[in-house]
Amino acid sequence: METKPSGSPTSLVDQFVMPGDEALDLSTMSNQTIKLGRSLRQDGDVLSVMKAGTFKFSKPNKYWVESSQKRYEPHAGDSVLGIVVDSKADNFLVDIKGPALAFLPVLAFEGGTRRNIPKFEAGTLIYVRVVKANPGMNPELSCTDASGKAAEFGQLKDGYMFESSTGLSRMLLSSPTCPVLDALGKKLSFEIAVGLNGRVWVNATSPSTVIVVANGIMNSEFKSGVQQRGMVEKLLQNLKLST
Amino acid sequence: METRLANIWRLTVNEKKFIETALQSDLRIDGRRPFDFRNISIKFSREEGSAEVQLGQTHVMAFVTAQLTQPYKDRPNEGTLSMFTEFSPMADPSFEPGRPSEAAVELGRVIDRGLRESRAVDTESLCVLSGKSVWAVRVDLHILDNGGNLVDAANIAALAALLTFRRPECSLGGEDGQQVIVHPPEVREPLPLIIHHLPIAVTFAFFSNESTVVVDPTHYEEAVMGGRMTATLNANNDICAIQKAGGEGVLQSVIMQCLRIAGQKAYDISTKIKNAVESYNTERALRKIKRHPSSVALDISGAGVNIGKNQNKPVPQKGDSERSNLTSEKSVADQSMDIEGEAKSSEQQQTNKIDGDAKNFVGGPSSWDPYSAGVNSDFLKASLASRGTTMPSRKEQDSRGENMSGEAKPVEPPEDINVSSSNIEASETVLRTNGEKTLKDAVKPKNKRKMKSSSTSER
Repeated sequence: METKPSGSPTSLVDQFVMPGDEALDLSTMSNQTIKLGRSLRQDGDVLSVMKAGTFKFSKPNKYWVESSQKRYEPHAGDSVLGIVVDSKADNFLVDIKGPALAFLPVLAFEGGTRRNIPKFEAGTLIYVRVVKANPGMNPELSCTDASGKAAEFGQLKDGYMFESSTGLSRMLLSSPTCPVLDALGKKLSFEIAVGLNGRVWVNATSPSTVIVVANGIMNSEFKSGVQQRGMVEKLLQNLKLST
Repeated sequence: METRLANIWRLTVNEKKFIETALQSDLRIDGRRPFDFRNISIKFSREEGSAEVQLGQTHVMAFVTAQLTQPYKDRPNEGTLSMFTEFSPMADPSFEPGRPSEAAVELGRVIDRGLRESRAVDTESLCVLSGKSVWAVRVDLHILDNGGNLVDAANIAALAALLTFRRPECSLGGEDGQQVIVHPPEVREPLPLIIHHLPIAVTFAFFSNESTVVVDPTHYEEAVMGGRMTATLNANNDICAIQKAGGEGVLQSVIMQCLRIAGQKAYDISTKIKNAVESYNTERALRKIKRHPSSVALDISGAGVNIGKNQNKPVPQKGDSERSNLTSEKSVADQSMDIEGEAKSSEQQQTNKIDGDAKNFVGGPSSWDPYSAGVNSDFLKASLASRGTTMPSRKEQDSRGENMSGEAKPVEPPEDINVSSSNIEASETVLRTNGEKTLKDAVKPKNKRKMKSSSTSER
C-alpha cells in the first residue's frame, strides 16, 4: 500500500532540507527497497541529507534531493547546450559548463561520415546529448539520440543564449509547462532550447521579443506561479508600449 | 590547465550577432535604451573614507587613507594623491592575482588623471610643513565583481570615498615650531579633504555598425564592442580627461555627441553622489550626538512633566517626546510616535519607543535628573548654539519629519535661525504644536489646558 513515504506525520517530501537533516527514518520501512539518489546518504537507520535542496520522491521507491547551482555536473543522458572551443582530428572540444571540456566525436551526427564532417568554428552553439560522464574523464557527447537520429540536436543558429542555474533549467523543462513559459507563449511566438547545464537559447523574429522572453525567464527563478504570470504581464505591457 | 580552459567565460557567435542586431533597433539585452545608465547604489561603512558602489552587476570598493611623508623635490608645497587598483580574481575568471594587468593599470591611470589634472583634490591644503612634511593620500580600489564598465563604477567609488574621508588635524609645535604634532580624532575633529569639483567618468562603447554608441556597457557588450571611449567631465560641463585606447576609429561628430551626452550624465551622477554623501554625513553626525546624551540640554516647552522625561534623550528626539508628552495619553502618544517615527531614521524610532516607556512617569521630574530644577531657556539656547555646527543637517532631517505636524521642533532654536522655517522662541513652538497637532483633539481637555497654562506661565 502506498502511503505517504516516510509514514510519519511530518514528511519531508517536497520540503526544503539542509545538510544534516534526517530525511527518513529507515527503521519504519525495513521491508522495502528504496533507491537513493543525489545527495542522500544512509547512516545506519537514518537517511541524512548531504546538500541543501528540495527532497523529492517518485514512485515506486526513488528518493533524491534536488538542488540548484550554477555549476553543472555532467550526467549521462542529459541534453545540454555546448559551445565549441576547438576542433581536433577526431572530435570537437565543447564547453558544457562542467569541470572539464567534453569531446564530441566528429562522426556523432546523423549520417556522419569522414566525408561530411560539419565545420564548427570556435564559439558555435550546439545542442547535444551527454553519452558518457565518468568522474575524472572528459565527458563524451553526441549530436544524435540513442537510436541514431538527429532529433533536433546540432547547431543552433541566430537567437540569443544566456546562462542560468540548473534549477531554473529543470523548472523550464518540467511538465506541466512552467507558468512563465506558458504566459509568454500565449502572447509571443518564439523558439527555445533549454540545456540541463544551465544554458537557455531563445530565438524569435524580432529582437524585442527575444529580449522580453530572456529577461522574463531570467527573473522567474525564485517567483511563485502567480508572481511569474504577473511579471510576464508587466513585461508584455512594456513591450506593447514601446512598439 | 584543463579546468582553467573549462572555466573561461565564452562568447558565442549567436550572442555577438544578436547584440549587434538588437542595437540596430536601439535595444539592449537588459532592456535599457542606448544612453541609459544602470542603477547606481552607493554605500558607506562605519570607517571614514570607504565607499562601496554597485552599478548593476559591477561591484567596486574604494578606501582612502593618508600618511605624512616627504614631498617631491619639485613640489615642496603640495601633498600627493596616488591610486592603486586591485582586480580581485573573484570578479572575473580572467583576473589573475599578482601583478596588475594592463587593464588594471589603465583603469587606475584614467581615474587618477581625472582627479589630478583637473585639480579636483586640493593638494596645497595637504601641505603641513613646506619642504618637509605633507599628507600623501592613497586611494585603493578593489574590484569585487566585473559586470562591465569598471572605470565608471570605480570613479564613483573613489569620489564618494574621498568626499567622506577625514584626515587628522595636525599643528606645528616643538621648540622651533618645526615639529609636526598629529592630533588624534578624540582630541580634535578630523578635517575633510578640500575637493573643488567632482570629475565623473562616462564610458561609451562603439560597435562595428557606424554610429552605434551605447553608454555604460555591460560585460556582454564589452566583449562584443569594437572600441571604447571614456570621457571624464564635471557637473559644469568642463572636460577633465578623455581616454580612447585603441579600437575602431570613430567619426568626429560621434565624439561630439558623446561629449554632450556625457555632460548630462555627469550632472546626474554627481547629484547622486552628493546626496549619498550628505545623508551619510547626517547619519554620522547623528551618531556622534547620540554618544553624548547627557550633554543634551532639553525641553523648552516649560511643562515640568516634559522636562523630566526629555532629559536623557538625544536632541532630535526632544520635539517628538515633547509633543508626545503634551498629549500625555500613552495610546495617543504611541500613535504620534508611530507617525513621527515613520518620518524619522531608525535611531530616532528607538528613542521614540523609549519615550513611550518614559511616559509612565507622568507626574513630575525624576529625582535623578540633574536638570529638573527649572531649566533656563536662555541657557539652553546658548548651549545648543555652541553645538549648532554639528546639528544643522540633523535639523534638516527633523524638518522633513515635521511634515506630519508641520512644525519644527521646539528644541532647536539655533538651527531654526538657520533654516528660518519656524519660530525661534521655544515656547512659541510649543504653543504652535499645541495648535496644529490634530491628535490633541484626542487628549483629555483637562491635561491640555494644564499644559498650555503651564507653558504660558513659564514664558
